Amino acid sequence: MSRLSLLNAGVVGLSLLVLSAGDISAAEYSLSVDRVKIDTGDFTRMGIGYNGETPGPVLRFKEGEDVTIKVTNNLDESTSIHWHGLILPYQQDGVPGISYDGIDPGETFTYNFPIVQSGTYWFHSHSGFQEPDGAYGAIVIEPEKREPFRYDREYVVQLTDAHPHAGDRIMRNLKMSADYYNRKQETLLDFFSDVKDKGLSATVDDRMMWGDMRMMPTDIEDLQGFTPLINGKSSSQNWTGIFKPGERVRLRFINSSAMTYFDIRVPGLKMTVVQADGNNVQPVTVDEFRVAVAETYDVIVQPKEDKAYAVIAESMGRTASVRGTLASRQGMVADLPPLREDPRLTMADMGMDHGNMAGMDHSKMPGMDHSKMPGMDHSKMPGMDHSKMPGMDHSKMTGAAKNNDAFYAAGSGLVPSAADGGKFLSYSDLKAQKPLYEDREATREIELRLTGNMERYIWSINGEKYEDADPIVLQYGERVRFKFVNETMMTHPMHLHGMWTILDNGNGKWDPIKHTVSVAPGTTMYTETEVDAPGQWAFHCHLSYHADSGMFRKVVVKGGPKSASLSSQKGG
Amino acid sequence: MKKRYALYAAAAVITLSLSSVYNPALAGAGHGKSGKTGAPGKASEVTRTINVTMSDNFYEPESLTVKEGETVRFVVKNAGEFVHEFNIATAEMHKAHAPEMMMMMKHGVLEADKINRDAAKKMQESMGHGMHDDPNSVLLEPGKTGEVIWTFPENAELEFACNVPGHYESGMVGKIKLSH
Repeated sequence: MSRLSLLNAGVVGLSLLVLSAGDISAAEYSLSVDRVKIDTGDFTRMGIGYNGETPGPVLRFKEGEDVTIKVTNNLDESTSIHWHGLILPYQQDGVPGISYDGIDPGETFTYNFPIVQSGTYWFHSHSGFQEPDGAYGAIVIEPEKREPFRYDREYVVQLTDAHPHAGDRIMRNLKMSADYYNRKQETLLDFFSDVKDKGLSATVDDRMMWGDMRMMPTDIEDLQGFTPLINGKSSSQNWTGIFKPGERVRLRFINSSAMTYFDIRVPGLKMTVVQADGNNVQPVTVDEFRVAVAETYDVIVQPKEDKAYAVIAESMGRTASVRGTLASRQGMVADLPPLREDPRLTMADMGMDHGNMAGMDHSKMPGMDHSKMPGMDHSKMPGMDHSKMPGMDHSKMTGAAKNNDAFYAAGSGLVPSAADGGKFLSYSDLKAQKPLYEDREATREIELRLTGNMERYIWSINGEKYEDADPIVLQYGERVRFKFVNETMMTHPMHLHGMWTILDNGNGKWDPIKHTVSVAPGTTMYTETEVDAPGQWAFHCHLSYHADSGMFRKVVVKGGPKSASLSSQKGG
Repeated sequence: MKKRYALYAAAAVITLSLSSVYNPALAGAGHGKSGKTGAPGKASEVTRTINVTMSDNFYEPESLTVKEGETVRFVVKNAGEFVHEFNIATAEMHKAHAPEMMMMMKHGVLEADKINRDAAKKMQESMGHGMHDDPNSVLLEPGKTGEVIWTFPENAELEFACNVPGHYESGMVGKIKLSH
């Protein structure tokens, strides 16, 4: 039986070739890139998938092995596969024009690289709009060592925002009119209602300010009208994961959307976050969390009852949601709660609320350490009844700001709160379980202003589009501090290829490493990168239509080990 | 020098608990008035010693079997890089204990890799409660070893668990099987 026929059967991890050379194991995988039919229940269209389906198969690797992946392009256009979040030689990174030339129609490209990490990741096309058209799949890497948590079963929960329009058509429409897909535009009626509430002059001032920004308060999702999917299934198609009551279930959330952030909850269950972007974090138990485009979060839940639990992913702009089900028996369907009220951007998201700007340097905000917050000094709270203290939830204390998250502008309309009460995960909560890098001073700082012209649908960095900009040049061995200043009103998930992004969230030596960091409107945040991977890499906003319209840079790493920077393919 | 070290080691074995003041359900375990969970054991009655290693974030062994009525000395070593707890109680009691540990963390008493005694003192002064010994548990900083001597009851559903926030939920808990 040929490998190809197996491949078409859609089998994952097809042929497992164990090489004879000592304890080196190598696994060989094959993927075909195919035209596939997408059926969301709301619409059907042709899209792109792997091994005949979208999402593609779950690739299961083992830390420490060398993998060979043969990718055959059955499309009539060039394609590519990028292994999102994997640390590998740059020639294997799969970005046309930076790592290699891409894969021509009818060609097979053989990837070969060592697996040097573990956790939940994903893969997708880095060509045109093939990824929004369905060209994505999940990667699960089994670790060499025992994990710092325990579970009885696991599921990949891969999200996307399937759109009835093909990606290139969406891009054309956005270029023609940036609010083409914004169904939440403010109307003349809104204007009169605001005049009634705020008075004419305040309303006109307000509208003129938004006009200057070429934005509207409803510009949270510039692409609406999509059907969110869990593992390729809409709410009506109801993706289901089976459990036995009492089991610990690991859910590997991956946001493979083109444009959509999701807020995730499992009503009735606490979720303990154990990984972010594939890296173990000190476990933190939450009621809900937000997953930016391209991020992954692994959580452990323990459903104890013999019933159906909903897995809800609601878009950040509250234009759509999807429900999957954790079920103790086949055929159960959990309830899908209605969408929450849609948030509105505020002046703070415009970066206009300068009065509150002082508090925005995240590096100087040591998480939520109450012991260092003078305002929380219990000894000065005379009216407090200590007998009612056990189980006290500080987040509900008066005096503490209602929705308080250092990673949003103070007064931002985007700050999330948990639907059913309780804790919503913040970036501040993420602490590395076992830091990969020693904490040290950065050698220099590079400022990256996230910029754009919404009306012309041009997105850029420091005011320059990709094609007009010089690459960012880094020196092997340095530790660079990136200062992200978001001057736009959109939230941008910034993804650096090839090297880890250390998120400066004020936790010092516990600062977590990620591959994608979300920068909220009107905020400044810092990341650091140990420049430890020679070659050239992509660095971009992971919103597909922002990346394509210019919010993208090439990063060149100079120096480093000779062998690694050779441009020839790694021997297979 | 030696003396100082010993003192420090002893301090590290202090258990954190707010429980007894407020929570009658926990008072039983906390203050060892025997009951459904068993009672603090006397060293002279110990019939067996069980070594337990705490790592990040799991126990070895993962479960325990003891005899009903048996008095066991648990020698608990924290071989991890984080603070861990070894606490013998029912699942409900662990659940009641967890918010207290969370409060300790929020007040800076319980840091990821150490117990902040200054913060504990401050919390004691401002809130009237803080850390004190509980015979059914031991809270250990990385590298430290502690002991729990416990006399087991008959017919109890007990777990040994770590209630440092997030640890129990991510699986740092084991069943204690009682045999006849």
